[in-house]
Amino acid sequence: MNNLKVFPIIIILLLLLTAFVMPLIKKRKGVFFLSLTTVAATFLLSAGMLRTVNLVGSYFIKVGPYEAPWGIAFHIGYIEALMALLFTGVTLMISWYGVYSIHKDIKEDHIKYYFTLVHILLAALLGVVFTNDLFNGYVFIEAVTLSSCGIIIIKNNKNTSKATFKYLIMSVLGSGLLLMGIAFLYAITGQLNIIAINNELVKVAASKQNIVTISLSLIMVGLGVKSALFPLHTWLPDAHSSAPTTSSALLSSLVLKAPIVFLIKVIYQVYGLEVIRETPIFSILLFLGVAGMILGSVFAIYQKEIKRVIAYSTVAQMGYIFFGIGLGTEMGLMVSLFHVFAHALTKAMLFLCVGSMIEQSGYKYKDEFRGIGKEMPVTLGAFTLGALSMVGIPIFPGFISKWYFSIATINANQYIFLAFILASSLLNAVYYFPIVINGYFGIDNVKGKIYKSKYKPIKEVLPLAVLAIAMVMISGYSSVLLEFFKLGLNIK
Amino acid sequence: MNGINLLLPVVLPILAAIAIPFLLEKKKEAIRPFIIGTVFLNLIINWVTISTLKTRMYHIWTLNDFIDVFLQVDELGILFSLLVSVLWIFTTFYAIGYMEHEKHQERFFAFFIMTLGITNGIAYSGNLFTLYIFYELLTLATYPLVIHSETEEALYSGKKYLIFSFGGATFILLGMILLYTLTTDISFVAGGLPILETIDRDQTLLMIYIIIFLGFGVKAALVPFHSWLAAAMVAPTPVSALLHAVAVVKSGVFALLRVCYYVFGADVVERIEGNVYISVLIVITILLGSLLALHQDHLKKRLAYSTISQLGYILLGIVILNENALLGGILHLINHALIKITLFFCVGAIYVVTHKIYIQEIKGIGRKMPVVMWCFAIASFSLIGVPPSNGFVSKWYLALGALGAAKPFFAALLMLSAFLTAAYLLPIVVTAFFQTADEASETEYTVSKYMTAPIVLLTGVIVLLGLFPNPIVGYIENIVMKLM
Repeated sequence: MNNLKVFPIIIILLLLLTAFVMPLIKKRKGVFFLSLTTVAATFLLSAGMLRTVNLVGSYFIKVGPYEAPWGIAFHIGYIEALMALLFTGVTLMISWYGVYSIHKDIKEDHIKYYFTLVHILLAALLGVVFTNDLFNGYVFIEAVTLSSCGIIIIKNNKNTSKATFKYLIMSVLGSGLLLMGIAFLYAITGQLNIIAINNELVKVAASKQNIVTISLSLIMVGLGVKSALFPLHTWLPDAHSSAPTTSSALLSSLVLKAPIVFLIKVIYQVYGLEVIRETPIFSILLFLGVAGMILGSVFAIYQKEIKRVIAYSTVAQMGYIFFGIGLGTEMGLMVSLFHVFAHALTKAMLFLCVGSMIEQSGYKYKDEFRGIGKEMPVTLGAFTLGALSMVGIPIFPGFISKWYFSIATINANQYIFLAFILASSLLNAVYYFPIVINGYFGIDNVKGKIYKSKYKPIKEVLPLAVLAIAMVMISGYSSVLLEFFKLGLNIK
Repeated sequence: MNGINLLLPVVLPILAAIAIPFLLEKKKEAIRPFIIGTVFLNLIINWVTISTLKTRMYHIWTLNDFIDVFLQVDELGILFSLLVSVLWIFTTFYAIGYMEHEKHQERFFAFFIMTLGITNGIAYSGNLFTLYIFYELLTLATYPLVIHSETEEALYSGKKYLIFSFGGATFILLGMILLYTLTTDISFVAGGLPILETIDRDQTLLMIYIIIFLGFGVKAALVPFHSWLAAAMVAPTPVSALLHAVAVVKSGVFALLRVCYYVFGADVVERIEGNVYISVLIVITILLGSLLALHQDHLKKRLAYSTISQLGYILLGIVILNENALLGGILHLINHALIKITLFFCVGAIYVVTHKIYIQEIKGIGRKMPVVMWCFAIASFSLIGVPPSNGFVSKWYLALGALGAAKPFFAALLMLSAFLTAAYLLPIVVTAFFQTADEASETEYTVSKYMTAPIVLLTGVIVLLGLFPNPIVGYIENIVMKLM
């Protein structure tokens, strides 16, 4: 049984090793083959990890020769295993899609470096999720930041350079704050291992109230920048809209999510509910989350570029996730984790759809996409499914999240926020539906457009189809997922 | 047989709709027979389903207590789905005649058939959540029909339709969530959920009731949420006829029947005094609809406002909360469906043949198109409620109900509104028959058989229902007995 437990380490090592083999391969096809097989292997290993957790329960595994609290340890439970499954699965689909389209976005000889970066990024994301050591988490987050900067700037034009620079500055600032927060914690507890910190913190928290608050707020702002907590989101629309399509999908669906998992760990495992309840962090998250989900949508309405619309929609969706955490109840947290899943799948699909529409038509602004449904019916069809999910039409995961968020809100006695949740989903309709409607119907749509003229071959839209099916599947299995999250959270 | 055949009435039309684009690539001329076949098959399946079914429930998707999508057959659902299936057949023939010269026929028929399946889903929904799903889908499926002409005006109206519908659906969702946290059960039980009688939080229940009522009221064109209906008149006539007669507005009314008598129950609604505020809105709806209809020269819009007013009658029947009123309401649901669809068909026939849409343009048309205009006249008299028409029967029961509830004001309102109905419908008849055309034209107007046949047959049904209302009254009485 112990052999099975090393899966997480194998996953990360596999990704890092292949990352550095990538530049040595000469042919594009070789790069694609290596990358896809590796990511597929990690996906299978993640599934194995989930099975292991199912068999033996959650477990710790030390990385390197020393035992915790001196050495670094990974903690693998249901949440970590499921997130690994999500991250590797979505990356697999995005890379698959990239096989057919990446050469249109970036230079031929950069492709191998691109996949190097993707592998490092995925390894680092998984590291953030797995780790049970604060400083180790910080290191992985830095690796995430740098590699995601890399996959944006690799497109190499004026816009991406500007956006990447903005992202880099904001993000490094966030990292600095995070590091400072960890340093404060280290100062009062002398530990870096999450469990060890918690044990110490419970003893000293009462006498060191100020330091607890300072460290918590530093960590929260630091992680907030990384995962686009409103109003720290300003880097996001630029970065996500100027990046190559596959990068936008990765950034929006995965890169934002790992810090969320880390934040949940910090709140519930490092500080623990007893200490956290003395601080106003939950109300702050609640209000910022609501502000994000309303204002993110409002900003999205006024965007002209289609990719920026989707990017601002991400801000709104992250608002939901922070809102759920901010409710401070188990239910809220579970739904937030579910929404991480829902949003990752949906947004990856939306970005890939929009990316292929841009790629095939050469348009950029949302008004130019009139009649695109005539030319690319399948792609716009997938986009429509995503849009319906975002608006919260039943049977799509967006509805399930909306529903559980509402229930969690009522259970937490925050009735007033019900209105915001429902209003926000209506706002989603305001900017998603016109794209769909203009795409399929409308005046002068049909003129000069030929049915399926910009059609992509079936193998190229297959990743979209898989993501769409996965999206509907998770709403079908939402109760199972929520049950797993509940087991994984195990809140006392 | 585990009840899976209950799915057929819902799934079959939707599958047929999906098949249409594929059929298009192979054989274009096969579409007509294909659609006609589908609607007939639907009626047969509906008939077989309800007459052979032993298990009267089928769970499609059970996630937890709330997200439990299931279909269930009961008398009210049967009544509604049969009405829908029958009228759909008439409309299909009519639409084939009407759409002959329009663009995008395939798209039209695909969504047209899909709407049939969804409406059947509404009829057979077993709980509020299932109803809500089909209700949302109905909006999405009818939207392409509303904007069919793809003009600026059509798109604008479509936008209005979407905004109103989704706004309403959000209200319903809010109400459902609140209701669920109180009861943890939202399935339909004849006479209301038993658990609600033990909950004594009257204020909360009242709030939930009003929220849900307003939410469904959007589709039922309750003032102040009625303006989408008149705007949606830009749609082709078969669509307007269906939107008005059965699919959309009647789904709203049907949903309200479910909410009042199958979720809350008459006793609870009476206890929480849920209808005090609602009936004010309904009175305004009846009067405002009639008065606005008087001002419209556009024939279709006049009929649209008339629908708003007539829907008010049905809602009145729902909220008075006694047997006679409810009987009258349900009966009027059916009668109004038949009458309004006929009126729309007539107006549509005039438009197709002469391209005339305003009342002053149709002077003397009665002599040119005698069959159509005679049917229009008969349907008008029925809607006004002249005995022995079917409109008279339903209004009679409504008035009885109002008097039985000691609310003579409502009875007087019915009289006044009948007078107003005469005032906006009869001028059309008079203009058509007794005024002479400004310019004498010799052109003969010939109406396609696809269009005249449904009109004449429907008029026949109207007359028959007026002369022999007893079977259907008996059937509805049976339903009403279980609810009170």
